[in-house]
Amino acid sequence: MSYGQVNADVIGTSVAGSNLGAGNASIMKNRIINGAFTVSQYNGTSSTTPSATSSNIYVIDRFSVLNTQASKLTYQQTTTAPAGFQNSFEVSVASTATVGSGDVFAFRQAVEAYNCQDLAWGTANAKTVTLSFWVQSSVTGTFGGAIQNYTASRSYPFTYTISSANTWTQISITIVGDTGSTWNTGNTGYMFVTWSLGTGTSNSGTAGTWANSGYWSATGATSVVGTSGATFYITGVQLEVGSSATGYEYRQYGQELALCQRYYEMSFSQGTAPANGVGNTYKFIASALNGGTSYVNAGVYCTEKRATPTMTFYRTDNGSSNGQPAYYSGGWNNGSSISPTSGTRAFYFNFAGTFSGLSCYFVDVAWTSSAEL
Amino acid sequence: MYKLYKDPITGKEQGVVRLADMAYIPFDPANVDYQQYLKWVSEGNTPLPAENN
Repeated sequence: MSYGQVNADVIGTSVAGSNLGAGNASIMKNRIINGAFTVSQYNGTSSTTPSATSSNIYVIDRFSVLNTQASKLTYQQTTTAPAGFQNSFEVSVASTATVGSGDVFAFRQAVEAYNCQDLAWGTANAKTVTLSFWVQSSVTGTFGGAIQNYTASRSYPFTYTISSANTWTQISITIVGDTGSTWNTGNTGYMFVTWSLGTGTSNSGTAGTWANSGYWSATGATSVVGTSGATFYITGVQLEVGSSATGYEYRQYGQELALCQRYYEMSFSQGTAPANGVGNTYKFIASALNGGTSYVNAGVYCTEKRATPTMTFYRTDNGSSNGQPAYYSGGWNNGSSISPTSGTRAFYFNFAGTFSGLSCYFVDVAWTSSAEL
Repeated sequence: MYKLYKDPITGKEQGVVRLADMAYIPFDPANVDYQQYLKWVSEGNTPLPAENN
């Protein structure tokens, strides 16, 4: 019986050849998600200058920021990019800051433990990894960053050099695998990959070695936030197994979006930042009357979430009450008292309104679901 | 500040609302917002009770 023809030359080249993973091969070698910054659900193409100083402010998919002083840095997806890339992540100084010993100005990605088990960190078989990225800044000098474990009890500070201002430079940093400490498993975080834009001495450590502290940067690194009007761009971020950087792993946009949606999904169209009254929402048909005073509606996520997500609701362009759905009954009416229940695959929400009998209603609702690390 | 909320179908408390941005946070230990809520409680704070719905 014939099962068709197999092109053995292609298979042989891919499996036995020494260049596996080189060039632009796409074999999920890159542990960073959205490394080319093509997906921007949080803010679309708009800029944001966080006024909060918590450590979990996501400004673009899979990248969060920490600024211990508020409103100093502005973040934005841009089309400024080196050849072969469409987008980058821009950081600009909105207001200069003097970096105190305890200050941190940084952005980072938390990498899920499910995606790192082959690294075997914390064992004698720990694998070496290489972090590579393209960077451009108006400031030159020695910059810093760090790999941290998810509990921030172990870190590997690193440095890299930008010699020419406003010129794209590709950086490659090789990091020997950590044989000490304990590294997580499952759907929690494995590591943070962090880039510093200004970190004080108490949060900086010796570059090129693992330490039993959660350092954010390397001692002596350049402060971007201290320079008025400074800019910093980054794209093509890749973290892969091995002691040298290979070509960036390009993913199709749909693949990258789905990877991002494991952590954050929204009803708004891609490119539209979630907000009250901007439209681009889901329409449901209310399907179940609950106790005569409220309706229940259900939705299914495009991608299963990492954990049960936090849900936030917004006013649609058909409603006038922030955070509430609208429903159609001879015209658009405002719902109230919305109450959601979400799993990792789907959700339903209940809301109150003035309903008659067992009629069905169109319901207009806008939402985000976050299962970020 | 947080407020407990119930599933209106089952009547069981299932999470907390973060009143600053009206985010609905489930009781899931893997949810980072819930982890921050637990830290807030461990600092001696108490959420508002759920409404009867």
